[in-house]
Amino acid sequence: MATDPVFLAQLAANGFSVGLGYALAAVGLALIFGILGQVNFAHGELYMLGAFLLFWAMKQLGLPYGIAAVLMAALMAGFGALLAHVVIVPNLDRGFESVVLGTLAVGIILQNAVRLGFGATPLDVASPLESQAFEIGGVLLFGQRMLVCATFLAAFSGLYAFLRYSEIGRAMRAMAQNREACVMVGIDVRRVTRWTGALAAALTGLAGVVISPLFDLYPNMGTEVVIKSFAVVIIGGMGNIWGAAIAGVALGLAESYAGGLGNAAIRDGIAFIVMIAMLLARPQGLFGRTVRV
Amino acid sequence: MRRRSALLWAAALGALLLPLAVDSPYVLHIAIVTGIYIVLVQSLNLVLGYCGLLSLASPAFFGVGAYVATLLALRQGWDSTATLAMAMLAGIFSALVVGFPSLRVSRHSFVIVTLSATLLLQLVALNWEEMTRGSLGLANIPAPRLFGMTVRTRIEWYYLSAAAAAIAVFCTWLLVSSRFGRAMIATRDDEQLALACGIDVFRTRLVAFCLSGGLAAVAGSLYAHFISYIDPGVFGFSVSETLLIMVILGGSGTLWGPVAGAVVFTALPEMLRLTPEIRSLLYGVILLSLVLYRPRRLFP
Repeated sequence: MATDPVFLAQLAANGFSVGLGYALAAVGLALIFGILGQVNFAHGELYMLGAFLLFWAMKQLGLPYGIAAVLMAALMAGFGALLAHVVIVPNLDRGFESVVLGTLAVGIILQNAVRLGFGATPLDVASPLESQAFEIGGVLLFGQRMLVCATFLAAFSGLYAFLRYSEIGRAMRAMAQNREACVMVGIDVRRVTRWTGALAAALTGLAGVVISPLFDLYPNMGTEVVIKSFAVVIIGGMGNIWGAAIAGVALGLAESYAGGLGNAAIRDGIAFIVMIAMLLARPQGLFGRTVRV
Repeated sequence: MRRRSALLWAAALGALLLPLAVDSPYVLHIAIVTGIYIVLVQSLNLVLGYCGLLSLASPAFFGVGAYVATLLALRQGWDSTATLAMAMLAGIFSALVVGFPSLRVSRHSFVIVTLSATLLLQLVALNWEEMTRGSLGLANIPAPRLFGMTVRTRIEWYYLSAAAAAIAVFCTWLLVSSRFGRAMIATRDDEQLALACGIDVFRTRLVAFCLSGGLAAVAGSLYAHFISYIDPGVFGFSVSETLLIMVILGGSGTLWGPVAGAVVFTALPEMLRLTPEIRSLLYGVILLSLVLYRPRRLFP
């Protein structure tokens, strides 16, 4: 069974699609770290908020999945800009611990506000692709997982184009290289910070929208996402967006094979173990810290 | 200075006489929990206050201490003096595992790894069901026997917890007023200068982090024996936020500030009878306001 090529291919397909999901969930964290040099500890809660906003838009407003998803990305972008404005902008010149504690506080507030608003019972959000599956050569591909992959491709190529060609994108890359120099050539650092927050939150919320139909919704669902995202960001190189993509896929594959061929308990620990191993062997991560396109 | 020491003596005397003055089991219960919190708060204070390192791993070591003591007591029938010692060693060892790779690199990775360690251990406690019974938790943890004396009644527990708190504060004082403590403070105030003075910054931080892990584990084992039931919630991340507020609002890097923080922030939510959600929400707002309006308070 374990050496059955179809089974191995199935594990590869699962791992690959899960890994792209990890990359999508982690890219917002990598973006904020790469451009602003700050760690966003409300990252998991942004993901959770995206999922709950989707639930709210579909159940309360009765919107279809696609429209709810777009509305949600816009709301999340606004929230991200607000978060950056309130927590990150005033702390740009202080120690990074201020932002860590501030975003941690925002995360706690969000988690408990959602718990008060929606209750702690797990909720379920339905997506039209959830029950779809098709088969290629004996390997099952699931519709929602494919949507995650497609969203990953769209989000990363969109991000690439944005960073490469737009004025704000260029300013972001400049800020990643040298913030003082940005101030000297007249780049509005605070505006770029807000844009970065908006972009990161929209991407993280989008990850919540496409991944959450696969799981239950509950107020501290962000916890698992945040461990995986931290691991992906450390393995790929803090702030390195492409490193995060590769590390995400690698982690997804490793977990899939560990769960399929070994023991499910090992699977949960892999992210942490690889992260520690990476810090010991190559602290700058696989690809180092750069926001280059 | 003299007024302050008079105040301290008065507080100590009040703490000593508290069980005689109040008879309510509820108040005593809160007082016992406060004592355990004081131990935990000093453990965070060592790292955050005196080394200037933001650690989110206190609940991890607290949980490790609670689980190690419980499992040894329940499965192996060990004596509590031994379980307490083993819990402490386990705390020190886990701090070594978490601190060694992460402290070498940068303070960013230290924060991230400490948080990940907490979350991971919670996941392990939840999923390793043969050992921890998962979310069902472990019940009937026996009352501790220390030096041939069984601690059973609330009053006995109160004195045990008060003694633990006093020892924790005393040990912190001994440590921070020693040569090593001055090295800790030097690495906090100016890492480069400390290096130039021949202080091994990495080693100083690692040792302080391990000691803090041991202290938190002791608090965890006391908690487990006192409540006599634990579940993966002991790794609860929300504990971290309470601790941060106790230490920062009390005054990180001072000996008595965090103690006052622990007393106030254990008693206050009880007095106001807040639900856990509202309390956490309020703590989040307090923490955010501290960061935004009193940034100097965060790190001395």
